[in-house]
Amino acid sequence: MNTTMSKYRPNVTWDKGVGILLIVTVIFGWIASPDFATTSNLGFILQDIGEFLIIALPMTFLIIAGEIDLSVASTLSLSSSTMGYAYRSGINFNVAIIIGILVAVACGVLNGFLVNYLGLQSLAVTIGTLGLFRGLCFVLLGNQPVNQLPTFWSNLGTNSIPHTFLPWSVVIIIPAVAIAWIILHRTRYGRWTYLTGISAEAANFSGIPVKQFKFSLFVITGFMCGLAALVYTLRFASASPDSAMGYELSVIAAVLFGGVSIAGGFGTMWGVLFSVLELGVIRSVLQLINFTANALQMVSGALLLFSVALPRLIGMLKTRREARVRKSVTSLTSSRSV
Amino acid sequence: MKKILSIRELPIFAVFILFYVTAGLGNHQIFTSSGLHDILFGSSIVAMLAVAETLIIVMKHIDLSVGSVIGFSSYLMGKNSAEGHGLLFCLLIGIAFGLGVGALNGLLVAYFRLPSLVVTLATLYLVRGYFSQVAGGDFINSGQVPKALTYMADHTFIKIPFLFIVAFVLALVVGHFMHNARSGRDLYAIGSNHPAASLAGISVARRTFWAFTAAGGISGAAGAVLLARYGQAQANSGLGIELNVVAACVVGGVAIAGGVGTVYGAIIGAVLLQTIVLALGALGVSQFWQGVVNGILLIAAISLDKLLSMRSQRTQIMRRTQA
Repeated sequence: MNTTMSKYRPNVTWDKGVGILLIVTVIFGWIASPDFATTSNLGFILQDIGEFLIIALPMTFLIIAGEIDLSVASTLSLSSSTMGYAYRSGINFNVAIIIGILVAVACGVLNGFLVNYLGLQSLAVTIGTLGLFRGLCFVLLGNQPVNQLPTFWSNLGTNSIPHTFLPWSVVIIIPAVAIAWIILHRTRYGRWTYLTGISAEAANFSGIPVKQFKFSLFVITGFMCGLAALVYTLRFASASPDSAMGYELSVIAAVLFGGVSIAGGFGTMWGVLFSVLELGVIRSVLQLINFTANALQMVSGALLLFSVALPRLIGMLKTRREARVRKSVTSLTSSRSV
Repeated sequence: MKKILSIRELPIFAVFILFYVTAGLGNHQIFTSSGLHDILFGSSIVAMLAVAETLIIVMKHIDLSVGSVIGFSSYLMGKNSAEGHGLLFCLLIGIAFGLGVGALNGLLVAYFRLPSLVVTLATLYLVRGYFSQVAGGDFINSGQVPKALTYMADHTFIKIPFLFIVAFVLALVVGHFMHNARSGRDLYAIGSNHPAASLAGISVARRTFWAFTAAGGISGAAGAVLLARYGQAQANSGLGIELNVVAACVVGGVAIAGGVGTVYGAIIGAVLLQTIVLALGALGVSQFWQGVVNGILLIAAISLDKLLSMRSQRTQIMRRTQA
């Protein structure tokens, strides 16, 4: 009886749960505000989550592989500051962008080197590089942000693609999400990520070059922070040393809310995508029905807590029920033998 | 002598002396009592939170909610004081709030066995969001801060600021507890080998719960220090301080991997980070370099720690093979 019942129970994992939550939120927003389901608002939401989503993608790989990078926001800021600094000192902005992205890659190389070749804890290392990169931003720019960017580029940051409601950042976002999904779920590199997260030792013994692999993850994270820096800089049409302050924890919160396990080894790209979209949609709905940003903080805190507590609670209840079933079975057999 | 040299906190103390002397040679103002006063006064908040964080990191956990707790606690104390309540009542409110958040963290981490990073990240947002909602644009000014706290911020005892003495006495008490009490030793055991600690009969869940509760209580109490130091409280008080606190602990030799480190080290770490701020100023280096130096120092500290532990491991193996 019990087994047949559980056979028909739908198999809802957390990442799908977030997807359902996203649909519910969209429907709620639709009903709650006439301004929600408009194309311009959709454009705003996409604009809003741009750099956030770009960083969340490599962060997903890192956390699944059992590492973490707290320096992402500082890397973004350093990359952005470098673009601004290079431009201010007379370098062509196209070249400045490339220099900025290269600096972000260098940040990733430094993190990857310290974690993998010196064998240091990524949590501690990246708290250090968080301070280091942020400090370099101020060294470069001082207190003066660079506000005069070429109009061609700053227009890209604020305008949408002609004849559509989509912001230009989707040119980076959509391919990035697609590539990240394919790599994580359809390639050997993706399988390595999971195996390394479950047990780095086992991964090493099965022939995965764990050190080089994790090193590459940090470098890719740096590169993606560089892309995010470009999106961020253009969106605000300014390169400032205090860009993206405190983003590191919100990105990690979004990834974890998407069902990625902080212990490593579990999580899907869908979950993270839904989670980032959900946070963007909630922010939009809350703004439209006149809630402040504080409410968003509380909601994301509560969601994060639920995302870990709910599966655990269900698991606890399940084991208790199984224990009870086992107990009744053993008592049945023992009574028979008597 | 050998015993003294093997003290874990010695290198970091040496670095502190180095920075202090270099700064002093650059600017003699640093050597005067006011220079020392500025360093200790400035580091008292992070020092106090670092004591709380040490309890947690030693168990191989982490508490990111300290910044939100200290901020809201300082606001609660200021608000109650502004409404005419006495100092004791204000302190109790702040500490009770801290204990409450700490107990919630502890409950979820110890009994629901949820990862501490996720839980405390969530409580960071929950508390900060609620705090901003309650406080809004509200501003507690220095006139509304309890008189006793203002007095403590303005006065010293044998040239040492009262606020630092509070942190120091707290460190002595917690340090004594962690070094001598059985439950204190248990925290190290849990951090260095969780399953072994459990098999050895340590009630891991209970210890974890109480450690988180205590850390919350200390963060709540530290709200008074924050209120006294700045003489004001508003919605962004204590914002983003949590990573500084973890950095101070790590610089002070409290390993993120758990099982090693003392509160004294954590306090020295906090003081060292503050010394750098002053040293840069004294040497005429732009304040902008502060973050760079902090970051390099932190990475150097953990690299050195790794090097030393690798070397001691090697000598242990050599000794074993010789025997």
